[in-house]
Amino acid sequence: MRIPAIALVLSEFYEQEKEKAYNEGMPNIRTQWVLGPVWAKTKEQLKKDVINGVNPISGRPVMQEIVEKFTKPLSEEDKKTGEIKRTKGPLTFTDTEENLHKMFLDKRYTDFLPIVLPTEERVAEMLKGTSRDPDEVIGRMSPTNTGGYFEYWTFTVKDVAINAVMAGCNPEYLPLLLAVASTGKEAISVSDNGFVGALVINGDIRDEIGLNYDVAAVGPYAHANTTIGRAWSLIAINLGNCGKVGTTYMGTIGNPMNLINIVIAENEEKSPYPPFSVRRGFQKGESVVTLFEGWGILSAANWGANRWGSEMDYPQIMKDITAQQGFLFGTCFVLSPPIANFVKERFETMEELEAFLAPAPAFGGGFAKMKPKPSAEGGEPAAKKPMPKGKMPAFGGSSIPIIVTGGSNNNYWSAGGLRPSQSVLIDEWR
Amino acid sequence: MKWYMSAGLIALLCLGLICSFSGVNSQVQAAPAEEQITVLNPLGTPPPITLKPMAPRLDTLDGKTIYIVDDGYIGGDNLLNLMVVWFNENYPNTTALYKRKGGGGFESEDPELWAEIEEKGDAVIIGMGH
Repeated sequence: MRIPAIALVLSEFYEQEKEKAYNEGMPNIRTQWVLGPVWAKTKEQLKKDVINGVNPISGRPVMQEIVEKFTKPLSEEDKKTGEIKRTKGPLTFTDTEENLHKMFLDKRYTDFLPIVLPTEERVAEMLKGTSRDPDEVIGRMSPTNTGGYFEYWTFTVKDVAINAVMAGCNPEYLPLLLAVASTGKEAISVSDNGFVGALVINGDIRDEIGLNYDVAAVGPYAHANTTIGRAWSLIAINLGNCGKVGTTYMGTIGNPMNLINIVIAENEEKSPYPPFSVRRGFQKGESVVTLFEGWGILSAANWGANRWGSEMDYPQIMKDITAQQGFLFGTCFVLSPPIANFVKERFETMEELEAFLAPAPAFGGGFAKMKPKPSAEGGEPAAKKPMPKGKMPAFGGSSIPIIVTGGSNNNYWSAGGLRPSQSVLIDEWR
Repeated sequence: MKWYMSAGLIALLCLGLICSFSGVNSQVQAAPAEEQITVLNPLGTPPPITLKPMAPRLDTLDGKTIYIVDDGYIGGDNLLNLMVVWFNENYPNTTALYKRKGGGGFESEDPELWAEIEEKGDAVIIGMGH
């Protein structure tokens, strides 16, 4: 549009929007900063805070500034065209180990924990984990799950290997990390919601690299699970410019799971159901990683629906928990083998179980669509049609991811909101 | 006997102190200059920036039409309709129009509305969410 435009943005997003404007080639764009939040305020509060209020950055009246931003003539700087080329900066840094650790911390190349410094030798050793050309560009990443808002940074096999070294990974983990990175899915989303990423790993690679899928399967209790999860976050920070508070991270509360994410190797051996990857169309044994995003998981014991008793109706508890989940990421379950076996006694297949659980309506885009639409005949809202078999929804959908992992030492399990996206064959990255 | 034992103990302690002092001292003296190492830059590559000129400004708001667009985030309609009222009261010769962006989500495009604004509007305010 070749007419003057002003975006109204909360002043809390000032740093983020200034960076965004610079990256978009309009560093002086005339944004109007207002006091937030807007959501949940009454009209009287909005009138006081915004219409008759001041820009929290400049301290001047909001509406007067809007008029000025429409009418004040452009400067020569505002009319500039051309291209600014950028690089990642120097390819190497030379200093003492102590100074390099400090520099990596200061430049926010880390997750604030000590890292393994990526020397040429260590990175060369890491690259032995793949036959891929180190200079092959394998992906691009940005700090938002929906893409398009932030710029994408590109990266190579070697860039992934550098971050794998920093996370403390072994070379045999590299193919899995390359598979994950190739999707461009960021582990750390900019969203103020405070999302978390999750990886579900199936197939032979679980034993090949020592992923834990028995007692303490989910969490920092095995080298592979921990460092792979950490590497995904470092990849997001350094290869996708994610996780920079104030610009590319705005999680209102934050999320501690962003440190190592949720890495789940499925306990296929003790699960009474086919592996998750098989239910997504892969062969049993094929090494596959599936990426998820959402709110995370916590013990199902936290829900009131989890009625404790000497006899437990786990399918009904799952159904009741499902009914309590929000629309954005739906429901997911992480069942320990004993719980899965209880469920199996009643539901022979996952499809039957999913149909019984009757998931919450999927996200349809925009808050205005939160309410179910009336049917074409004007009656009650139409029931959501089930997804065709074998197809996974791009966003939301009727399928409930159910993963089986962990030990058999007690009847504990987890539930939460995580939505799967891509599943990737790891063998292609060996 | 006791005198001899005490003297011996004192002598041992002194010897220990001398040894430990000389040990620390020799460690400081023997410490080599801190070795420098070279590490690789862990960053990805950002894209080039294409500078875009801003649209020409208006000389006045009189007789002009300002579209005030709601991106659909909760509560945006309350604020933006108050803005319409403000323009009506303070700039009676300016037309302020509230429009709710379509496209299925607050991040998606609405080409039809953009075309309408470009054709009929002189300026636009877009109310972002939150």
